[in-house]
This record gives sequence, structure tokens and C-alpha cells, in this order.
Amino acid sequence: MVKRTALRIVIMMCVLVYAGIAVGQDNVQKYFNDAACKVKATNDPSQKREILNNKFQDMSKALGMVRSSPLVSKTDRAGIDRFKAALQEKHDELAGTNGYARVSDDQLNAFSDYVVQDMEQADKTITMSVVTALLIVIIIILVT
Amino acid sequence: MKSLLYRFFASATHAHSVSMVGLACVALALFLFSCSSIPPAHRATPPGDEGGLSPRYSIVCIIHGDGGYLYHDAHGDAHRADEVTLAKAKTVAERNTQAEMFIFHERRRRHLLLFFPLRDGTFYYYRHGRLLAEESYWRDQGQLRFDPEMELYNRFRAEGSPEMVRLFLYFGHEIPEFGGAGYDASYKNRTFTVGDLADGLKRITRDSTKVDLVVLSTCFSGTPRTIAALAPYARYVIASPDNLHLSYFDLRPFEQLDIGLREGDVSGFANTFAHHAFDRLTEDIQTAVTVVVYDVDRVREFLDSVDSIYDHALTTLKGKTPGSIERCDCAEDPAYALPGMSEGIAVLYRPPRFGRLKHKESHSGWECWRLLK
Repeated sequence: MVKRTALRIVIMMCVLVYAGIAVGQDNVQKYFNDAACKVKATNDPSQKREILNNKFQDMSKALGMVRSSPLVSKTDRAGIDRFKAALQEKHDELAGTNGYARVSDDQLNAFSDYVVQDMEQADKTITMSVVTALLIVIIIILVT
Repeated sequence: MKSLLYRFFASATHAHSVSMVGLACVALALFLFSCSSIPPAHRATPPGDEGGLSPRYSIVCIIHGDGGYLYHDAHGDAHRADEVTLAKAKTVAERNTQAEMFIFHERRRRHLLLFFPLRDGTFYYYRHGRLLAEESYWRDQGQLRFDPEMELYNRFRAEGSPEMVRLFLYFGHEIPEFGGAGYDASYKNRTFTVGDLADGLKRITRDSTKVDLVVLSTCFSGTPRTIAALAPYARYVIASPDNLHLSYFDLRPFEQLDIGLREGDVSGFANTFAHHAFDRLTEDIQTAVTVVVYDVDRVREFLDSVDSIYDHALTTLKGKTPGSIERCDCAEDPAYALPGMSEGIAVLYRPPRFGRLKHKESHSGWECWRLLK
């Protein structure tokens, strides 16, 4: 009985790790795509701003928490810093701070697409390990 | 280990033992199947037996899918860039009745029942619009990056006439100019650089005829180093010196090569393709869109004049951390802004709709590196 349970646990862990690889890497992108869909679903510009603002804040908070985790490597920390800086730029543009002109109300849908597409380029500038990506996803779920 | 296994089996009931033995047999069979060197092949007709003339066009298409290739369209629907491209490449192959087409899909390594590795490459060979072969293969066989692909290429390629037009398409992430470890998610220590790509092209052009057109559907491939590396093996190159969204360059113009290349005008076709790709990308994409056609013979002079400068820059940057360097338009660095910089290139550029560079009006068509301040 004990052996059977142990075997089941091992198999479950393998499945979870396997699933985690896909979930961790894709969910950061899905998170912003979800935001873009919500932005487009509403007609109220102030609601659109609020959605984007909240998403930026939650992600930024999650990145900060993950960055301070001992599980995160030095390389990943550098990746998180770059990701966070890119996110801050978008947050600034939305709000019209730090030298940016505020994104106008009629451009909020396009801006939400820009946020998603900027992360979906065929380059490798934002690269993080599976562990880090998973941590971000878990914390995002917890903070939202 | 043996004693452990013995104790494990000894403690089990007879019925349990039978089922465990059965399970072990299945596992062994799966292991042997997954390790078998005999490729699971599907072949409708042996090459050469399907009749007809030699193909007029030979297309090699490599689709890298061993990494993060998820993207979303403007409706929010998720797509895998490599899967979408594979479907489009198959359409190209089926619609060109005077072509042969090799499609290599480099997939993430997967395991059957978590433990048994499966082949991570799929090869399709079309001739005259018909699928003649479909094989799975291992991507990590051989010393050189494209050894498995070259083996398949040499096995199936048709004897072409001197007039055969050769086209090469690559879809994937930015191809590193140095280092290159981690390009494949399944092989962290395996490297891939523009040098490996150039080597692959060299082996395709072994009879010293250049590939007529190379399309690099990746980010940051319009650099002096990349174009110079491909220059000995290509007549024209289409690439994006800047970022490129994962929806890639649209392949539709390739679907009717008999019309697009009717006069054998590769330059005209390259420009038509570039304009079409640019128009499609700018419809939905909010980030920067840059598509450039490089006439390789005509850019030689510029490449020669900046070669040592670029080499020196790369040597300097090799030791830097990824966060301390960034890509930039070569025109922003006076060392590259030479009179012949625009010679031999056709640049299609639209700045990003948002971000710091939204007012950047033009792009030189060449991308360089710089240190972040």
C-alpha cells in the first residue's frame, strides 16, 4: 500500500513538473493577453485604464517578490530586472509620466495589444528559468 | 539495486507480480521503440517514380519550434508560431506543382509516459505538389547542427537543372551571433549561431551555386555579421534588422511561384514578398515592423568596410552581461554611418505605435550593438 502510494506520488510529481514547464512559460503572456481582452470588452476608458494599471501593478509586485526569493538565480534576477524595467516603461506611458505623453483614450485598445505583442517578438530578451516563471505565475495568482 | 527489486517483487502478490511483469514488458517495448534507429516513415511514392520533369524550384524550410513560440492574435486567440508556420509551409508545398520542398519542423523534445524520449524533428518532402515522404528524426545526431537535416536533404533532393531557383526559409527566434547556448529549450548546452546557419547553407550549395533567396523570419537578423556570414551562399536575403513579431513574414507570395518568379526575376519577387509581409504585419502589429531586402553582391562593399568595427564591438560585448548591452540602428553609431550604407538594400519600416521609439522616422536597414549607459 505504501509502495503504491509512493509510486503515485512520484508519477504525480513528474506530471506536475512537466505541466509546470508549459504553464510557467506561457502564463505570463496569457496574463497580459487576458488584460487586453478585458480592455477591449469595455467601452469605458477609465475602466480600460484601471484594468491595465492593476495588471501592471500586480505583475510588478509579483516580480519584486520573486526577485527576492532565494530560489531565483543571478541570471534570472537580471532577466527580471529587464522585464520589470520594460513593464515600468509601459506603466509610465499609460499614465503619461517620466517623459511620456499619456496614451489617449481612443488608443487604449491598441496600447493593450502593444503590451502583449512586445513580449511576443521572435527574440530572446526576456528569458527566465522554469522555476522563476512558475514562481511569478503562482504569486500572480495569490496577489490578484 | 537488484536486491531492492527482488524485495519489491517478493512482497507483491502473485496477481500483482503478473501485472508488474506486464507493465515492465510494455515499458521495455516502448523504450526499444523510442530508441529504434529505424525512422517511422510514410512514403506515398519513391522520389523519382512519380514522373514529370525536374522541379523548377527547390525550397528548404526550417521551422524552429523548440522554445517559447506562443503568441496571440488581435482577437486574443493563442497560436503556436511554429505550428501556424508549418501549416502555411505545407500549403506552399502543395500549391507549387513545379517545386520540390523540404520542410523540417524542429520540435521540443517530448517523452512518452514521462521517461521514453520521442523523436524531436519531423521532415516532410513534397515534389510537384505531392507529399512523397514524412519522417520523424532525432535532431541531436551528428557533429554539426544541421547534420540530420542535411542527411535527409541529400537523400531526397532532385537533380536540378542549372536554371532551378533555390529558396531557403528559416523561422525561429533571433539567431545568436556569438555564444548561442540555450537556443533549444530541450538542449540547454547545445549552441546555435549564424555560423551554423551559414554552414547549413554552404552544404546545400555544395556545387557552388548560390541560393537565390534566403528569408530569415527572426528578430535582429539584418546585422552586418549575419548578412556577411550568409553572403558567400546567397544572392538575396530578406530579414528584419529589428524585432519581428512571432506571426512572422507571411508566406502567401510563395504559394504561386510560377507567377511570382515567371521571368526568373528573384529581385522582383523578393521585393514583392517583402512588401506583402510588411503590409500584413502593419495591419495588426503595434510594435516596430522592419523588413529589408539585401542584394548581397551590392552590400559587399559596406560589409567589408564595417567588418573590423563590428568584430571589435562583438569582442568587447562578449564579456558583458545581457542587461548591459542592447541592439540599435547602426545609423545611430557614427562608425557605421558610411556613405555606402544604403547601397543594395530596400528598407520597409514603420516605427512602433507606442514606446520611446514611436517618433523614429526611419531605419538604416542595419542593426548593431551598443553598451547601455
